[in-house]
Amino acid sequence: MITLTTNLGPIVIELDEKNAPKTCENFKQYVADGFFDGTIFHRVINNFMIQGGGFLPGMIQKQTRDPIENEAKNGLSNEIGTIAMARTMEPHSATAQFFINVSNNKFLDHPGQDGWGYCVFGKVISGMEVVNQIKGSDTTTRAGHQDVPAEDIIIEKAEISED
Amino acid sequence: MYFFISDLHLSGDRPETVQMFLRFLQQRAATASHLYILGDLFDVWIGDDDKQPPIPEVISALRSLTAGGTWLGLMHGNRDFLLGDAFLRETGADALDDPTLLMLAGVPTLLMHGDLLCTDDTEYLAFRRQVRDPAFQQQFLGLPLEARRQQAREYREMSGEANSLKSEAIMDVNPQAVTDTLKQYGAERLIHGHTHRPGDHRLQIDGHPVSRHVLGDWHTEGAEILCFDEGGIQRELLRV
Repeated sequence: MITLTTNLGPIVIELDEKNAPKTCENFKQYVADGFFDGTIFHRVINNFMIQGGGFLPGMIQKQTRDPIENEAKNGLSNEIGTIAMARTMEPHSATAQFFINVSNNKFLDHPGQDGWGYCVFGKVISGMEVVNQIKGSDTTTRAGHQDVPAEDIIIEKAEISED
Repeated sequence: MYFFISDLHLSGDRPETVQMFLRFLQQRAATASHLYILGDLFDVWIGDDDKQPPIPEVISALRSLTAGGTWLGLMHGNRDFLLGDAFLRETGADALDDPTLLMLAGVPTLLMHGDLLCTDDTEYLAFRRQVRDPAFQQQFLGLPLEARRQQAREYREMSGEANSLKSEAIMDVNPQAVTDTLKQYGAERLIHGHTHRPGDHRLQIDGHPVSRHVLGDWHTEGAEILCFDEGGIQRELLRV
C-alpha cells in the first residue's frame, strides 16, 4: 500500500502489482526516492480526475526518470477511485505524474480512442473523502496551466507500507 | 503527431481529390502516429461490396498506412454512414462512435462529424434517424448493388435540392447544441467537420474556456488538415 499524506489528509492506495507490474514498480521507486514529497495536485477537474506528482508549488516541474511501457492493456478500468498514469500523446511516455479518477472514465481504458488508453495500476482504499474534497477545490490558471487549485494541495509525504 | 481530417467526399468524379488523398497517405500521413477521419471520407457509400474505382486504391492506400504503424480511426459521416466492418477489416481502421471522447494531450476532447450539432435542421435530423435505423440499413444493403446505386443517386438529388433552399444559418452548428454536448461529455475541446466552415473558436462554458475546431472540406484545389502535438494545434495546407 501507498499512503499519500496531503495537507487535507491521507489517501491510501492499494497497488495492483499483478496487473500492472512495471507501472507499480516505477511508482514505488518514485515513492521510495521521496520524489513525490512536496509535490502538488496541479490539475483538478471536478467531474473528471485529479492529477499530481509532477510539480512543486509555483508550478515548478520536477525532473523525472525515463518513461515506462504502457501497461493499459490489463483489463483494469478507469473507474471512480482508481489511480492511473498520466502521459503525453505518446503512448509509452508515463513517468511520475498520476491521476485519480473521480468519475467513471471508461473512455480512458485500453484501447481507448487512440489504440492505447491510460494504465490503471491501483485504487484508493481509504481517504476517498480527501479525494472528494480535492476535486471540489477552486481552480485557476497558473503559469499557463489551466485547472490549477487556487490553494496548493500538497503531498507532504508519500510512503510505502506492507499490506 | 495526430492528424484530423473530414469531408473528403472521395468519388470517381473527383480524381484530383483522390490523387491528393493517396499522396497524403503515402507521404504526410505516414509520419503521423494517428489519423482520425471524422466522416464523409467518401461522397457516398452503398455497401462494402461496392468495388468501383477509386474504392480499391483508397482501401489499399489506407491498408499500407495502418500496416506502416499509423493508427487509423474512422467515423461515419452523413454520406458514408454505411461504411461497414469489411471496410474496417480491409483497411485496418478502428471505428469511432459519433461522438467519441478522446484524451488529447491531457484534455478531454470530443470528436464528432458535426451533423448532430446542426439541430436547427430538423428535416435533416428526421432523415438521419430514418437512414441510421438498423432495419432500414439491412433492407437497403439487401438490395442488388445497382438498385442501391440508383437509390443513393435519388437521395442525393433530393438532399441537393433541399439544401439549396436552406439559409446559411441553418446549415451551421447550433451554439446551444455545442454547449450542451460538451457539457454532457465533460469535454473541453471539440473537433468536428461537416459544415465546411473551417475555423478555430474559443468559448466559455460555465466560466471555463473551451475550444471548437472545425475541419475544412477537401476540394479540387486543395485541402486543410488539422495537426495536433504537444505544442498545440495547427493547420496544414495540401495542394493538388
